[in-house]
Amino acid sequence: MVQASLFSQLASVNPALLACLRETSAHLAAPGATRLSEEQRALALGIARRLVGDAADRLDGAVDAAALWADWGTQGLPGATQMAGLCFARAEEHRWREQSVRHASDAAPHGVEPIAPVAVPTTAAALADDPLAAIDRAYLVLRIADRRRFDALGHPEVAIDDLDLDFFRSLLLDIAAWALVRSGKDPAVAARLGEAVRGALARHDPARGIDQAGAAYHAALAAIGVQADSAAVAIARHDWPALIALAAAAQKYRYDDMALALITAEPAQLAPLLAPLLRDHAALAPLEGSLAMLGNRAVASAASDDYAAALQARAATLGDGPEGAS
Amino acid sequence: MSERIVRGRIDRAGRLVRGDAALLRLQQRAGSGIDKPLALPGLARLAALAQRLQREISRPLIAADDHSDIHALVRIVPDAEGAAIEISDWRTRPIAQPQIPPVTEAAAVSPQGWSWECDGQLRLVALRRGAEAPPVTAGWEGRSLSELFELQPDDNGHFAVLQSLARQTGFDGQRVRADGPEGRMAMVLAAAPQFDATGRFTGFRGTALREAEAPAPVPAAITDPAFGSLPLSDPAFGRRIDGALRGPLARIIATAETISGQFDGPIRADYARYAGDIAHAGRHLLGLVDDLADLQNIERPGFKAARDEIDLGDLARRAVGLLGMKAEEKGIRIDAPPTDEAMPATGEFRRVLQVLLNLLGNAIRYSPADSLIWIRLDRQGDRAMVTVADQGQGIDAGQQAVVFEKFERLGRTDSGGSGLGLYIARRLARAMDGELTVDSAPGQGARFTLSLPARD
Repeated sequence: MVQASLFSQLASVNPALLACLRETSAHLAAPGATRLSEEQRALALGIARRLVGDAADRLDGAVDAAALWADWGTQGLPGATQMAGLCFARAEEHRWREQSVRHASDAAPHGVEPIAPVAVPTTAAALADDPLAAIDRAYLVLRIADRRRFDALGHPEVAIDDLDLDFFRSLLLDIAAWALVRSGKDPAVAARLGEAVRGALARHDPARGIDQAGAAYHAALAAIGVQADSAAVAIARHDWPALIALAAAAQKYRYDDMALALITAEPAQLAPLLAPLLRDHAALAPLEGSLAMLGNRAVASAASDDYAAALQARAATLGDGPEGAS
Repeated sequence: MSERIVRGRIDRAGRLVRGDAALLRLQQRAGSGIDKPLALPGLARLAALAQRLQREISRPLIAADDHSDIHALVRIVPDAEGAAIEISDWRTRPIAQPQIPPVTEAAAVSPQGWSWECDGQLRLVALRRGAEAPPVTAGWEGRSLSELFELQPDDNGHFAVLQSLARQTGFDGQRVRADGPEGRMAMVLAAAPQFDATGRFTGFRGTALREAEAPAPVPAAITDPAFGSLPLSDPAFGRRIDGALRGPLARIIATAETISGQFDGPIRADYARYAGDIAHAGRHLLGLVDDLADLQNIERPGFKAARDEIDLGDLARRAVGLLGMKAEEKGIRIDAPPTDEAMPATGEFRRVLQVLLNLLGNAIRYSPADSLIWIRLDRQGDRAMVTVADQGQGIDAGQQAVVFEKFERLGRTDSGGSGLGLYIARRLARAMDGELTVDSAPGQGARFTLSLPARD
């Protein structure tokens, strides 16, 4: 009792201890549950930092991004729940792609004939007439949209143009509120920040984002009915951004939602997930193999069972014996 | 731990029905046990995948233990009752601390520079500025690299980027001119090639630095006389050739063996024999790919082998176990060291096994039928030695001088080997502070001796 009381007192004045005790408690409650590895934590945090920094930079120099992150990094991020999904999905996609690059030499090619280089017509009329050139162009745009999701050092980030407008607005307003409080609620700063937020929202351009690029690529392939072949080629080449983009467009999901759906899918779920796009189950083997090699995935089978449900089931089993015997 | 193969077996439901102590301990520490599902998620998924595909799968495995990560190679062989698990090269490493994701040298942009990426047709897909660099040219998306950067020829009138595009290799020192905030500015491009999983060239990723800030270009790699212009010093080349060849060859071999074994129904005997020849040639080519990949690895500057505590006796017996069937096919008897004979030494477990497999494989290949190969252990001072001797036709003094050279096959033209095995074996021996020597005379067989630092 004395110990419990002392713990409570210590924890009440020591947030670090409180956090440790909560984490230990969660761990003891489900020791076998999948938890974030240090790599996953670091990646998600880095992505969040770059997202906050990029959003702050959009406010026309009105915000000190370094001071903002130093403050939020200590006190916690507003809207952390919504940001968690974005950052986790991007981090997991990055882990998958990095692993695929590392193991590229181990991965067996799968008998896919390379697509012959396509000469790109230079006029709009020629582009419209030539479906292969349209596909080539759409794939180029997809790659450009994908590479916007990395910083200059190759670290993963969430591109501002990929953000949902409501989320982006909410993030900008949180940043502006922080800057306003820091300025001592100076009315001139408030006006400048308001203008900057409006300008940033006006410049937000989802047409440059990966969702629209993916949809356009899918549409270009669908125009000549080769989306299934292209998905199979993407799998064979471990071109995961192309596969995710095609699958997302086929299912009308967001790119990051589809990325997370694929990464957390059990093997049996992959075929239905990709069914509108790809019906050749043999083509899925490299995808399944690549995902199987990615450690610490949040797949359903890796989660701990519902203890209460398991206990109830066990009790029912035990209860059946004597009743059945009697 | 690295010197052993840890074995286990699962049933069709994925439950671990038996296993060596190390695997059982890990299974228990992960909260499971014998006759319970495999508790290591990565291993369980590989096992499920192998069972589903009904194909043998060999993959690297990384598993988290209490205070360390376990890195190992796992092989799953499915059968009607479940699957066999073999875990080798088991190493424990401290849990890796979070790090900045690796960036290739060519992509490491300085704060004053730009980083860029282009596709295989040199169209830009990314252009970013470092924190202190001039702003990038607007409207770069999808434009040609040579349109955005006006290429300048070198002193010989060549363009490094175009030569590298043709060879699909990296380059540096490509002088260019580009639009900057104060008019045209001189810059220098460097880049590394990018490849996908099928070995297809997908473009370049590189940097653009203001000319004054760019490092002096590194002289071109010295060409290996044995390989002509193949850029063996370029790791990307090795990975590409490895990735591009291994898969097709494995499929050729598997298909040819299926035809040769007439698993899908009887065919004409000569066709089955042709298929057997194809499989044999495929295995030879795969061996050559393995050798080239090895060669590229060990010729890398700074290559060092691990210093495991090994037993040459155990490794010799292990090599005999692996090649015993092959010897029996020729009626060759191998006199291996008895199980109670040990010769403690220091060297990398899998590399020493690789050397011994090469020596024993050569001995079997070049020994007459119904002959004897013997393996002896010895110690001289601080050196532990293992000798593989055969009753083949032997090697004269002149041939002994060149037998460890690259591609030296002593005039043989059969499809038995690449001519790289002994060269690689000696390089590996020396990387482990050891030596590989030969002692032979025509008509008296050959004795190859591997010596390594002894261990008490």
